[in-house]
Amino acid sequence: MSVKKLAKEDFAKFVEALIEKDNVIGVQAKGERFDFAPLESAQDLRLDYDVTLQPPKKYFLPPKEVLMTFEVGGAYASEYEDETFVLLGVHPYDVVGINQMDELFSQDNYDTHYMKRRNNATIIACDVVTPSENVFASSMKTAVVKEGFDILLTDLGDSYVAEAATEKGEALLAGAAEADDAALQAREAVWAKNQKALNKHELECDAAYLPKLLGRSYDHNVWDDMARTCFSCGSCNQVCPTCYCFNVQDDVNWDLKTGQRERCWDGCLLDGFTKVAGEHEFRDQRAHRFRHRLYRKAKYVPAKIGGQIACVGCGRCVGACLPGIANPVSVYNRLIDDLGIG
Amino acid sequence: MCQCCSEKKDIYLPELATVVKADAMNVTEKYLKLSMDGGQFDYVPGQFVEVSLAGIGEAPITITSSPTQEGGFELVVRKIGNVTNAIHTLNPGDKLGIRGPLGDGMYPVEEAKGRDVVFICGGLGLVPQRSFINYVLANRADYGEVTILQGTKCFDQRLFTAEIAEWENRDDVVMLETLDEPDEKWNGNVGVVTTLVPKVKTDWSSAVVSVCGPPVMYKFVLMALEEFDVPHENIYLNLERKMKCGVGKCGHCQINDIYCCMDGPVFRYSDLATMPEAI
Amino acid sequence: MSKPTIAIFDFACCEGCQLQFVNLEEELLDLLGVADVVEWREAMSEKSDEYDIAIIEGSITRLEDEEKLKLIRSRAKVLIALGACATIGGVNKLKNNFDDLDEVKKCVYGKDASKPHLATQETKSVGEVVDVDFCIHGCPIDRAEFTYIVRCLVMGKTPEIPEYPICVECKANGNPCLWDEGQVCLGPIIRAGCKARCPSNGFRCFGCRGYIDNPNVEAAKEVIDKYGLNVDDLKTKMILFGSRQEPTIHG
Repeated sequence: MSVKKLAKEDFAKFVEALIEKDNVIGVQAKGERFDFAPLESAQDLRLDYDVTLQPPKKYFLPPKEVLMTFEVGGAYASEYEDETFVLLGVHPYDVVGINQMDELFSQDNYDTHYMKRRNNATIIACDVVTPSENVFASSMKTAVVKEGFDILLTDLGDSYVAEAATEKGEALLAGAAEADDAALQAREAVWAKNQKALNKHELECDAAYLPKLLGRSYDHNVWDDMARTCFSCGSCNQVCPTCYCFNVQDDVNWDLKTGQRERCWDGCLLDGFTKVAGEHEFRDQRAHRFRHRLYRKAKYVPAKIGGQIACVGCGRCVGACLPGIANPVSVYNRLIDDLGIG
Repeated sequence: MCQCCSEKKDIYLPELATVVKADAMNVTEKYLKLSMDGGQFDYVPGQFVEVSLAGIGEAPITITSSPTQEGGFELVVRKIGNVTNAIHTLNPGDKLGIRGPLGDGMYPVEEAKGRDVVFICGGLGLVPQRSFINYVLANRADYGEVTILQGTKCFDQRLFTAEIAEWENRDDVVMLETLDEPDEKWNGNVGVVTTLVPKVKTDWSSAVVSVCGPPVMYKFVLMALEEFDVPHENIYLNLERKMKCGVGKCGHCQINDIYCCMDGPVFRYSDLATMPEAI
Repeated sequence: MSKPTIAIFDFACCEGCQLQFVNLEEELLDLLGVADVVEWREAMSEKSDEYDIAIIEGSITRLEDEEKLKLIRSRAKVLIALGACATIGGVNKLKNNFDDLDEVKKCVYGKDASKPHLATQETKSVGEVVDVDFCIHGCPIDRAEFTYIVRCLVMGKTPEIPEYPICVECKANGNPCLWDEGQVCLGPIIRAGCKARCPSNGFRCFGCRGYIDNPNVEAAKEVIDKYGLNVDDLKTKMILFGSRQEPTIHG
């Protein structure tokens, strides 16, 4: 696949052309923060953003979606959204998040609802220009990505290097000039910088060691200590690019004969998440739910996706947690300090 | 447009089934025999289905019949939530949605061959175990001594009493039953199901021991089995968890590293050694 | 299946929750297609003593209202508390913070305070007087939640009312946290179900839906400290809807 270079004004034209022919969702300002939203003009695009309020997950797994419609006593019919779209400006750590979700939703039992949206998407990633205040992608080895996108943009000041990684990306970049050696070297420098710079919280071990660390930490007092001030509000779940637990509910139309089955985001931190009919709740302690989330990120989910750590270091949970206890790095570091590595 | 999904089945989409038979077993339990409108339905003892009532929701229910029985499959449903309440209103001829059979953790019908089998059931625990019991009895010559222990809270909650009576009358089955809170209608054993364990005559070192009951029961049964040094790899537990999707995605039924829906609902006890949340 | 009958009653309140019924506009006709309303003072002149579902708006502030409510309870198969005044006592509970209710009355009504129709007592939520089957929370109620609950009830199904706090819906809407913008938002301890309407429009959560079943007081204290506030700062914000609040009813 090819690596192209686009001057900034040509890039703006590229974006305008993209908006003409597809649904483009791009990063834009939202108050003093940033978020993904439908893009109407290249001017609104802010590829210099630090982090978006929500991860791009919602375009594949929306907060609420209709899975199927039904007739009472009759058949069920799958419902799908089937429109192509372009996600423009996905940071490397979020690309990793999407790739992990792809694996989780396609393995064992293929989730056609997630995967149809995913297959309809074109992902244009961009290297981080402004590190956010809580990012720790460098620690999680997600500061730079080499795969999982259709196009990767790297800002070189007056131009972008644009690498196509798929046929889809290649087609979009047709016509652009090849990147010269100087541009490629400048891109290497951006990568080298980001590998280190996206590290506002530094994990004191190699991320690959985390599953082993947690293998020794189940009864550690950190869980009770931290969860003492946990609201069980699920904010950490809601903003996480790799949290994908969901609830399913039926609702009927006013005819009481037809209706739809919907799925909506859920969260393992929430009270009632494991409660069965008859009121027994299997993880009724805040500390156990708090531990469960951090075990999912660095032990349980990694076992399903070839050892990849399911925390991508975006830092959103750190900022979203009101009592300030959600930072995975502080918890893991405390375990390392207490238990050592080995 | 995405074409690749169109050939793939929607894992959340129920298929229609028809109620063939429906009987109230007592105030809270209802028996249903179902037949898939699409025909074929192959399952193994221990597997469950997600039962859908359109507009009400979905609930996971373990199959109580044995695949050795002909003509549809059977469920027993306790009235305890929205879906199960609605199931209680079903009559023969009514339609409902079924996904499944689900669950890769099944009863060890093959592994148990040539060995003694002990079934320990608490209350509603008989319902899933009955699938395994009837499978063993349909292939009786393949197994060693068969012992069934049933503990129920009170007389009126006893289930499958005709079948239990049949098992009691068989020469090749030992059927022991006890009640927690007996009344004048009962003149049998009194106490919780663990009090029956010392009465079992079996080769504990090789017997397959299958346990199913309310969450609180497991640790007491396991303590009772420790007394006889039953190897943990021979003990099978059928666990209940909250489930939504039933196909390993939604996260509700997770027990440490494993998913009750995918890896269970039947687990070998030795496989749960590193799962503190299991028992 | 014959349509269930509904009777709507109001006690001490602004009747703003009933107004949300009227605001359903065309959907109100849909609702009337699945249930018969047999009594509704705000919208019709008929009255009835026979009904399946009683919807109670308002809090209970007079002895005679307690008696009336108990009678309604004895007639209804299902009793629903509608809106914050009914579910948690609402704004009306502010007066329970004062020891001398006569003084309060004088302060509010002046020389009219002794008039017989003002013979009020401590404010009670509906659940403090009779058993409540379902709560429709909020000030005012959320129309979508209300219609969902009605559809559930006519289907014979228990509606799923969130046990989790507002933050869940607020974050799902993609909002930044209002605490970071200097607001003392009650979102983390208040029951969700309103789709975080206030915080999504830039206003802190006032707590009109009542506390979640298990709010974490320790966490609240920690957050107050972290943001350089004291307990009174938080109490001031909680008093509007959270005065002398009994735990809300499940469901």
